[in-house]
Amino acid sequence: MESFLAWLILLCPLASAALILSFAHESKALSVKISLGAVGVALAATLFLVFNQGVCQSSFTWIDLGPALRLSIGIKVDALTRVMLLVVTGIGALVHVYSTVYMEEDEGKARFFGSLSLFMFSMLGIVLADNLAMMFIFWELVGVSSFLLIGHWFSKESAAKAANKAFLTNRIGDFGFMSGILLVWAATGSVEFSGIQAGLEKLTSNPGLLTLAGLCLFCGAVGKSAQVPLHVWLPDAMEGPTPVSALIHAATMVAAGVYMLARIFFILEPSATALTVIASIGAITALMAAFMATQQNDIKRILAYSTLSQLGLMVAGVGVGAWGAAMFHLFTHAFFKALLFLGAGAVIHAMHHEQDIWKMGGLRKSMPVTFLTFAIGTLALTGAPLLAGFFSKDAILLAAWHKNTLVFGAALLTSLLTAFYMTRLVVVAFLGGPRTEAAQHGHDCPAAMTVPLVILAALSAIAGYEFFAKSIFGAEIFHKVHEAEHASIVPTLAISVFVIGTLGAWLVYKGTSVAKPAAKMTDLPKDPVVIPLFANKFYIDELYAALIAGTQDTLASLSGWIDRVILDGVIVRGIAGITWGAGYALRLLQFGNLQGYAFLFGTGVVVLLYLLTK
Amino acid sequence: MFPPILLEILVLVTGFVLLLAESFSTSTSKRSLASIGIFSLGWVFALSFFVSSAPAAVDAGSYWNFYSADSVSLLFKRIALLTTMGVLVMALDYESVLAKNIPSSRPGAGTGEFFILPLFTCAGLMLLASAVDLVLAFAALELVTISFYVMVAYMRRSHASLEAGVKYLILGALSTGFFVFGITWIFGITGETHFAKIALKMASVQHSDVAILFALVLVLVGLGFKVAAVPFQNWVPDVYQGAPTPVTAFLSVGSKAAGFLLLLRVLEPFLGVSSLAPKILLVLAFLAGATLVFGNLAALPQNNLKRLLSYSSIGHAGYLLMAVACVGTARSGFGSVGSTVGFYLFAYLLMTLLGFIIFSLVSTHSKGEEIHHFNGLAKRSPLLAFGLLVSMSSLAGVPLTAGFYGKFLVFAQAVNSGHWVLLSLGVVTVGAGFYFYLRVVAAMYWNEPSESAPIPVSFLTKTVITLLVAGIFFFGINPKPVLAAFQQTAIQSAKAPSH
Repeated sequence: MESFLAWLILLCPLASAALILSFAHESKALSVKISLGAVGVALAATLFLVFNQGVCQSSFTWIDLGPALRLSIGIKVDALTRVMLLVVTGIGALVHVYSTVYMEEDEGKARFFGSLSLFMFSMLGIVLADNLAMMFIFWELVGVSSFLLIGHWFSKESAAKAANKAFLTNRIGDFGFMSGILLVWAATGSVEFSGIQAGLEKLTSNPGLLTLAGLCLFCGAVGKSAQVPLHVWLPDAMEGPTPVSALIHAATMVAAGVYMLARIFFILEPSATALTVIASIGAITALMAAFMATQQNDIKRILAYSTLSQLGLMVAGVGVGAWGAAMFHLFTHAFFKALLFLGAGAVIHAMHHEQDIWKMGGLRKSMPVTFLTFAIGTLALTGAPLLAGFFSKDAILLAAWHKNTLVFGAALLTSLLTAFYMTRLVVVAFLGGPRTEAAQHGHDCPAAMTVPLVILAALSAIAGYEFFAKSIFGAEIFHKVHEAEHASIVPTLAISVFVIGTLGAWLVYKGTSVAKPAAKMTDLPKDPVVIPLFANKFYIDELYAALIAGTQDTLASLSGWIDRVILDGVIVRGIAGITWGAGYALRLLQFGNLQGYAFLFGTGVVVLLYLLTK
Repeated sequence: MFPPILLEILVLVTGFVLLLAESFSTSTSKRSLASIGIFSLGWVFALSFFVSSAPAAVDAGSYWNFYSADSVSLLFKRIALLTTMGVLVMALDYESVLAKNIPSSRPGAGTGEFFILPLFTCAGLMLLASAVDLVLAFAALELVTISFYVMVAYMRRSHASLEAGVKYLILGALSTGFFVFGITWIFGITGETHFAKIALKMASVQHSDVAILFALVLVLVGLGFKVAAVPFQNWVPDVYQGAPTPVTAFLSVGSKAAGFLLLLRVLEPFLGVSSLAPKILLVLAFLAGATLVFGNLAALPQNNLKRLLSYSSIGHAGYLLMAVACVGTARSGFGSVGSTVGFYLFAYLLMTLLGFIIFSLVSTHSKGEEIHHFNGLAKRSPLLAFGLLVSMSSLAGVPLTAGFYGKFLVFAQAVNSGHWVLLSLGVVTVGAGFYFYLRVVAAMYWNEPSESAPIPVSFLTKTVITLLVAGIFFFGINPKPVLAAFQQTAIQSAKAPSH
């Protein structure tokens, strides 16, 4: 029963994607129905598994080349899988419902839902995979579906470019991931999690190889979860439709890296070096992204940097050994970040695709439901006591406190900054008076959009409490979440930075509100704090551009010379010439004369006789 | 349940009945002959799943002394049936060209046998699959070859076809001579013609190595001709190009499969002898290397697609020989050589048939066989272009196609046997293959078409094309069904008592 349900969860979205993309792409209404149906079935099956604490494993051999290489397509459901399944199908279902209205007038609505189903299939494949090879295949598939969805409005140049950037940047990480899989396979002879665990000794006996393999695997997470230095694709990915940003680029796909790290934690654990690197990368990402978020003006970009920052926090959590806490934060974060994105989507929808927070203002009155839910999401994210984010962030902070003071400091500063930039966002966009005409005429969206907001807001409020989380995580993993020893200084510090950050932002930004809409765009109030370094994202994009361009120019001229003279001139032309020459020469053997053929035939016989009987 | 030999008898009877019907019928259209043929073969294919197995004890006079019906031979029979059905579908589309090239008093006269002769070839292939005795094997092989002689020279108004027919006949007769000579030597040395009994004799009786090697060279020459191994490949480009396209496809798939099946069967008794095996494998490796290089390099400068496909056929014989050269030395773990060769032949059948079907349609319609006649096909007929794309990709060995998996298995065998020279030749020639196969793809997708009218395709042909494309992908992703069938038979035939 369990394994049937698990296969059903995986295959429903595939069937939906196949149906929509091959048959139903003409009909918007039909494709919406198919897609909703598939995600509904997947959610129902997931809920059944979660409530029954279902466990199963089922696989069939795909490629069997003897003991050397045996690849299987298999699924494995355990406590960790169930948490992730619930996040993916739960938020997936809400986003599907929300999208029916958000994408109402879009030409490519059917294509959108087809791609969304394809994404669900790929993502669920990652979650359910019982071996690294299969995980890698689905890892690439989410890359493809993410590419398709970021580039949904492909006629817009920036969207097409962002899709490319996301795909290519991920390829770098995936290359490392694949190398890691090959290393693990070479050492342990298996790509299945159980097989690797059984043969782990062969890997741990060689610490260098172990660290290398661990870090290579981590590369996959760096790409997919947008860690420094491969974080640059995520903010640009906001070119995609907002529901996509909520589902893929906030709640699920970007969290796949963290999930993967939790899955393979038994490989990482024996290598202290690997864990330190992971913790450092996570902490750096968390801090840098938080700084960058303080200076963004686009509502989605603020949230994107915030996602980066929170992902960094989760990765740092894994790095300090608290993968349970990281998964817990992933779980709560999925709810409130999806909520924030969907809320932002509602704002954008109401304001006719205006994303600049400085052109909003006063939305509290015109969009009360959106404001209320957005405020709950903000409080949950910033770590306000009694809401979900507070508990999960606390778990990570606690683990870091015991393990690594630097990481703890970075995480604490990140929390402070988080409170600051989120309050800034709320104050500027929702409070005060409307800054433009459009903001004045804002309105709450239809029920299909507000209901998901309300559900997510409720979940953001309760997801952190033990009664709720424990029932989903199961006692065993939930124990992992809180295994770090309690230290009362940690929550005290966390609450203090929350208060400081929130108050600070309030004081700085309450003065920017206006009494009535500005007549001219130039009259709009400006951000009173301008820090070019942060506003320009540490100039990393520019640095990469310059680096790539500079290196490229030098390398290009050098390799151009090598290519023209040595490779092309000598090697390629040479080899090609020889091959072609040989081809022409061999063709001459085909002279068409029958007697000649018979003669060659006879010669062949003589050659064979000589070879065999000499 | 009924004896398996009934399958061959049914095919032959259908052939005879159709021949008679053709000579007495007054209808000018001969298309119904092909349709009846396809239909009957379909029935025989279905019946092949309900045959009884070989009896446990065999009388001295029974036909079971030279006939076997293990599952590998049944599998080959089914492959032969499917191939013939595919060829008949092609022949239907080819009728217009055929009619133009046959001198006749009234329209359609003289085309009838073209649709009937493949049935006899098919019966020959099926018998060959079951032959466990050199005499039956030879008779079956000649049934295949003689019907091919007629079909190759069928278009009597076309010089190319006639020339191809004469060349094929004379060189074929020459090779048959060598083959029969080899058989008589084997019989002279061992006193047996049954494969299993030959193997027993080889193990028990003192014999002269040189005499056996001499006999094997003669046999290898004969079979080398059939499978188009260098240096006995001379006939291939000329004959393939001159023959009517459906016949070319049939030659390239059927004749090759028959040759390889027989090659494995004939070599088996001798590979058990430790003083002979290394020398035989050396010769096979030599043939494989030469065939790989010739087939793939000589294809590079070709602009005529039909000729290119004929060189490609030689090249693929090289990969198959490479697998055969690993017989006995491959360590276990990657499946037997038999299943590798079987899978490769199966994949080759799918992609070659697909390629030839589309080539035949397009060349008939645009009255030319050069690659530039395929320019912009993607804009004219997307289905045909996609089919040819799949076929070419599979022939070149692009992953997720059956052709890739076949090459993968062959290379895995070579790695396991430590044939490093062959392996590097294989890698280089695959590279060359990508060049000339993808040239066709580039022409179809990048160049502008010279005419824009789509090419009409019958429903039947469309179905066959779709099925072949699906098959190439299916078995490229999941090769297990075919591999398992061959694997299973390898186990069964190892257990089966020698008759």
